[in-house]
Parts: sequence; C-alpha cells; structure tokens
Amino acid sequence: MPTENIPDQDFENIPTFEEKSSRMKFKKGSLFIFVAIFAILLTGLLATAIFWGFNQQASKKTLPSKPTPTPTLSTSQETLTPSLYATDAAILKIEQDVKNLDQELQGADLKENSLNPPALDWQIEFKE
Amino acid sequence: MKKILPVLLAFIFGFCFLKASLAQEFNFDRALNDYLYNYNLYRQSYNEYITAKESYLKYQTLNSKNEALAKTTQMLKNQDEVVKTYLTALRLKLSATPGLSAEEQNVLFLKLDSEVGWFKQHQNSLLSAATLEDLVDSAKKGAKQYQQTEILTYQTLGAILASKQMGFREKIAEQIKALKEKIGEIRLKGDKNTTTAERWLLEAENRLTRSQEKQFEAQQILAKMKATDYNKIKPYNQAQLNLEESHQYLKEANSYLKEILGELKNAD
Repeated sequence: MPTENIPDQDFENIPTFEEKSSRMKFKKGSLFIFVAIFAILLTGLLATAIFWGFNQQASKKTLPSKPTPTPTLSTSQETLTPSLYATDAAILKIEQDVKNLDQELQGADLKENSLNPPALDWQIEFKE
Repeated sequence: MKKILPVLLAFIFGFCFLKASLAQEFNFDRALNDYLYNYNLYRQSYNEYITAKESYLKYQTLNSKNEALAKTTQMLKNQDEVVKTYLTALRLKLSATPGLSAEEQNVLFLKLDSEVGWFKQHQNSLLSAATLEDLVDSAKKGAKQYQQTEILTYQTLGAILASKQMGFREKIAEQIKALKEKIGEIRLKGDKNTTTAERWLLEAENRLTRSQEKQFEAQQILAKMKATDYNKIKPYNQAQLNLEESHQYLKEANSYLKEILGELKNAD
C-alpha cells in the first residue's frame, strides 16, 4: 500500500503562518542589520581612504621637494685641467676687461625713454 | 700798491674759478631737469589756455579776449622754451656719448643749434603779437618748423643710441685684437693647440660685422625720414629695433670671447 511509505508527519509541529512570518521578519531584520553594518564599514573605509588621500595631497603641496642641483651649461669657463696660460697675465687682463664689458653691455640703456620728444599741441584756433 | 695787488689777483682767480665751476655744472642731468621743468610749465599754461579759450568762445567779451590773448602767448612762449631746452638736453647727451665721430657729431650740433636759434627767434616774435590771429599765424609757423625739428630729434636720438653700439663695438674689437695677438704668440710657441680658439675668434668677428650691418640699417631708416611723414615714431621704432639687434650681436661676440678665454685656460 502506498500509504505505508508516507513518512510520519508531525502536524502539530508544523509552524503556523504567524510563526513563519515572524521568522521571516527576524531574518529580514538580521539581514538589514548586516547590510547596515557593512554599509557603515564601507562608508568609513571610503571616508578614511579619501581623507588619507587628501592629506597626502596636502602634504605633497606643503612639503617642498628636496632641492636638486640646478643643471648648468658648461661654458668652458671652469678650468678643468689648467693650461700653461691659465695664470698668464695677458689672458687674465683680457678676461677682466671682457667681464667689465659684459656688465656694461647688460646694463646699457637701449631706449633712452627720458629723451622721447615732448607731446606738443601746435593747433591753435579760436573757432567753435 | 703792494696791498692792492694780492686782493686783485685773488679776485681774478676767484672769478675764473667761479666761472669754470658754473660752466662745469651745466651737464646733461641739469639740462634734462631744465627741460622737464619747462615741460611741466608748458602743460600748466596749456590748461590755462584751454580754459581761457573756452571762456572767450562762450562769452566773446573784450575781457575774455584779452585773457585768451595773454594765456595763449604764455603757452606758446612756454612751448618754444620746451623745444629749446629739449634740444639742448639732446645736444648734451650726444656730446656725453662716446662712439660717434667728431664730424658726425658736429653736423648734428650745428643742426641742433640752428633749431634752437629758430625757436628763440620765434619766442621773441610772440612779444609783438597783438591779436589772436597773430598768435594763430605764429603757432602755424612753429608747427611747420617743428616737423623738421621732429626729424632732427629722432635722428639725434638714433645717433645717440647708435654711438653707444659703436663705443661697445670698438671696445670688443680691442679685446679681439689683444686675443688675436696672444693666440698668435701661443701658436708660435706651439705648446697649445689654438685651432678652436682661432675659429671662435672668427665667429666673434662675424658677430661684430653683423652688429655693424644692423646699425647701418637703422641709420638708413632714420636718414629716409621726411617732414611730410605723418607718423614719424614708426620709422624711429623700427630703427630702435635694429639697434637692439645690433646690441644683441655685440653681446654674443663678447660671450664668444669669454668662451675663447676658457678654451685657452684649459689644457688640450
């Protein structure tokens, strides 16, 4: 008989509709709490990351970078291995004259703006 | 007699010293101050002339006409004084700037003196002006003459700027000559290779030539100026630009000399 195979059911223990809904509510509640905690943690993490990033940027701005040596053009001014003429009196004199001349050339007034012609009005008339 | 002689000698010496010191004091700076002072006076009198003119045109009274006559005369006198003092300042600046040949300088001096003379005469003629019409005619004469004066002022300014370049060029040429002699001496001794230094020296000389060419271009522009040119400042500005380029070539030439000296001071 097929009825023999029917498992024994504890019909008394079958949860009622109210019990089911209350369990569902409990599950939903715990899920909500879990999601909320996750969201709070995520927000906190994000806030920390953003704040830290800003701080880093600010620190980049405020902290000056270490000074590096300015690259200079080698104009063969430096006497790397001095020749016989490095201390020659004539060469040193020319060098001094050229230096003085350089200063004069740099400071020369090429416009003489104080001597620009005056603005004069020669158009005299007594008519309206 | 013995008492009078030392007093007389002291008086003569004192007079000569005073005269010499007064003559020395009149330099470019003082001439420039004179010009600026007179230009300020002119601007004040010009404003007064405008007010008097407006008053006359509005009221047409004898009193306002008289006032207009007085203020216009004063303004024109001041205008002539401005031109005279300005040309004098230019003359002194020219004489204080080395580089220009004596001949070129004298030609400009003569022209400047002649202009100063013209405006002096014009200023005196204003005293005989009795009517406003006389003053209008006088102003027209001044305007016509000033067209020539303007050319002279721009040419003189150009000469001042050019003479500076000439002065610098002479100095650089002297250094090139001295370096050439030294390099020749080193080459003869044979203890240092001078090929590079000699090649760079040629480059420096080349820069001097280009500087001279630019200066010549500037002088040509100024020489072509005409009294009828409406905008005289334009060619002057162009000439000034050419002179600035000329100066740049001189700077380069001098910088090459520094490099040559560095090369000579270094071992091969």
